[in-house]
Amino acid sequence: MNGTADLFARSAEDSYATFESVKAWKKATGRPVLGYFPVYFPSEIAHAMGFLPVSLLGASGRVGLDMATAHTQSFVCSISRSVFQLSLQGNLDVMDVLLFSNICDVARNLSGITKRNLGDRRIEYLHYPINNTSAHAVPYLREEYRRLADILAGVTHHPLEPEALRRSMELYNRKRALQEQLTAFRRARPGLLPYTEYYNVLRAGGMLPVEEYLPALESYLAELPSREGKPKDGVKVMVLGNFCEQPPVMLMKSIEDAGCFILHDEALVGERWLGLADLTAADPLESLARGYVQNLEPMTVRFHPSVNKQKALLDRARTQGVEGVVFATPKFCEPALYDYMIGKPALEKANLPYLHIEYEESASSFEHARTMVETFTESILFD
Amino acid sequence: MAAVTATGAANFDDFDRSKRLQGEITKRYFQSLMAPRSNGQKIGYGFVMANPIEFFQAFDIIPFYPEITSLNISYRGGSPPLIALAEEAGYSTDACGYVKMGVAAAMDGTSTAIGKLPRPDVLLLTYSGCQIYIHWWEQLHYQTGAPILTIDVPYVREYDGHVEPHDVRYVASQLEEAIPLMEGASGKRFDENRFREIMRLSAEAWDLWGQVIEMGKLRPSPMDAYFEAIYYMAPITIIRGTQEAVDFYRFLLEELKERASHGVGPTPREDYRLVFEGVPNYPFFKKFWNLFRGYNARGVAATYPKVAGMIDTRSFRLNPDKPFESLAEYMIHAYCNWNMPMRTRLLEQYVKDYQADGVVIHSIKSCRSFSMGEGDMREHLAIDLDIPTLLIESDHVDPRYYSEAQLRNRVDAFFETLALRKRS
Repeated sequence: MNGTADLFARSAEDSYATFESVKAWKKATGRPVLGYFPVYFPSEIAHAMGFLPVSLLGASGRVGLDMATAHTQSFVCSISRSVFQLSLQGNLDVMDVLLFSNICDVARNLSGITKRNLGDRRIEYLHYPINNTSAHAVPYLREEYRRLADILAGVTHHPLEPEALRRSMELYNRKRALQEQLTAFRRARPGLLPYTEYYNVLRAGGMLPVEEYLPALESYLAELPSREGKPKDGVKVMVLGNFCEQPPVMLMKSIEDAGCFILHDEALVGERWLGLADLTAADPLESLARGYVQNLEPMTVRFHPSVNKQKALLDRARTQGVEGVVFATPKFCEPALYDYMIGKPALEKANLPYLHIEYEESASSFEHARTMVETFTESILFD
Repeated sequence: MAAVTATGAANFDDFDRSKRLQGEITKRYFQSLMAPRSNGQKIGYGFVMANPIEFFQAFDIIPFYPEITSLNISYRGGSPPLIALAEEAGYSTDACGYVKMGVAAAMDGTSTAIGKLPRPDVLLLTYSGCQIYIHWWEQLHYQTGAPILTIDVPYVREYDGHVEPHDVRYVASQLEEAIPLMEGASGKRFDENRFREIMRLSAEAWDLWGQVIEMGKLRPSPMDAYFEAIYYMAPITIIRGTQEAVDFYRFLLEELKERASHGVGPTPREDYRLVFEGVPNYPFFKKFWNLFRGYNARGVAATYPKVAGMIDTRSFRLNPDKPFESLAEYMIHAYCNWNMPMRTRLLEQYVKDYQADGVVIHSIKSCRSFSMGEGDMREHLAIDLDIPTLLIESDHVDPRYYSEAQLRNRVDAFFETLALRKRS
């Protein structure tokens, strides 16, 4: 257990700013690396073409933001500025392709200014459909994926092979299934797996080669049930808002220390929820597109006309026995702030307590947040 | 048309009739929105960028643009109570002011500086250039129960500006796919001939509007292509597709030609020619304009008046014979749907084509679609190209972010730089 937990912790730390293991992988294999900005990316395509897909989740205070500040406004989120800083100061030089998508206005414009400043690099942008009830959404996304494959073939000089894609889809489906097992364990036995450790396991999955990650995760999961610990009291909460910019892990620890069991949150949610593909379909690229378009998980940055976010929130809360909801929204993240305003009235109507706190990825003081959460948990416990 | 006195001095008011005409058009439009409707006519909410008003008109739906009403309310000083109402409900100070005003205006019992606004019967989500469009309509959907009808418009993501054929096909197909949904929402059958006629009138208005905004190339410019164009751009959004819009732009074009022939413009002289980027400040619009007008500076080109459509770059042309494809191309080429290198190159091109002395970037907190990366634009223009560039910040509707003294200091310093350059 210690070995795999240590691997995940080291990899998670490496994924903020240093990417040493990525450099080592590239040197050892001679193969290209693709870095992608949250929330979702079809890693299967990049993997099938020989790339190492790496999730860019922000530097969380590990670099200064002086260079990024000259190019971006003070009122944009921290993750966009820290990823931009990493690209400007060379931390992302190991990556042959950087990829962005339509999650928000900031991420969209970030792709362009990154291109302008790193002109000789491949800075690419994928458009994921938002009209997912349209009959044209799946064919459209398939075309986008085909375009992506052509771009990547420009690096590798090899086209995308359907069978290679199918094998990659199998690996990533497995990764999603194992991560779901991990989350299910936390839900079933809250308190035995601290959030900080859980988070490291997920975050490491955004950087480690999937062939290395899967056996490590399988081994880790095999040993988890043998964990022992005294049952603790805690308020069962879900945390919403951390789907893109990552909260400092110490903030999440503060929430737990203040008496909460985090049964559900949105860390790396795009990787865990989206893209699950039917391996038996004749056209694997279309199957991958269908896995995105027809997925009905409500996600803040992915409008889906047929998803009722309020109903989905209440259903999830009921199913998981959640006693309260913590909206933890990144400073200046408009999508999260608007979804808070969708969830809030539904929770009020259902008489389910909620709390709203804001964070920045580089924050280092959590006393205020901890006090707020303590008051929140006490109000639930003594209600 | 215009009066010139015996001494040869022209009275500017005589060359400024189009603004009054625009005011009348806008007033009539607001009256039509708020008039009681006994004929079952529906209100369709839409956005300015990439709005297919022709589609609304084909179904006899009254188009309603909360961006337009919000800016008009702000212009009249009416934004603070609406913003306060939304923030009391829980909306963040970091959320877009337009969204907060729109949500507050749709709350029960809210009246605004321009009256009680109608609630939506259908929300047409044309996702182009602004991600917050999605969230705004979601808010209104959960608030009012009105259905969202979605047209997904991909971003122009190729840096050389070319658009993927599958993008155009995708948008055009969704428009066609939306016909039965619009028929259901409006209770009206789709009449393709009427749609084509609307497209023809719309194309004519676009052509005239394109000629209008290129008048800024003249030296001196007969108009302020930022501050005055903000008045002139209203009809292309709210009544395009009608003969009235065509007549308005024909009248405006003639007026500007008259101005040019008489050497008349919005400032006594033209000492500086500026390119503007960004959304203006509406609560203090005239004060904001005066910061530049006081230096006899005229906006000769601007990006904001193109949010309704990139007509001057010839990026689209509505074609009644290809109504869905050409409407799709128009919707894709909204200004903020362009990637940042294209937007930056456009500013660079404007400086050359319009012989400008400098660029002013007004960055607003509310709109990250416009603002995110404007610092990078400044870096490129000022450092790489040595074009005098001023970056200032406030907001388009929230008066709390407008600091006259701070802005004036920055603007004064900018003009000192420009004056030094002119002397050297």
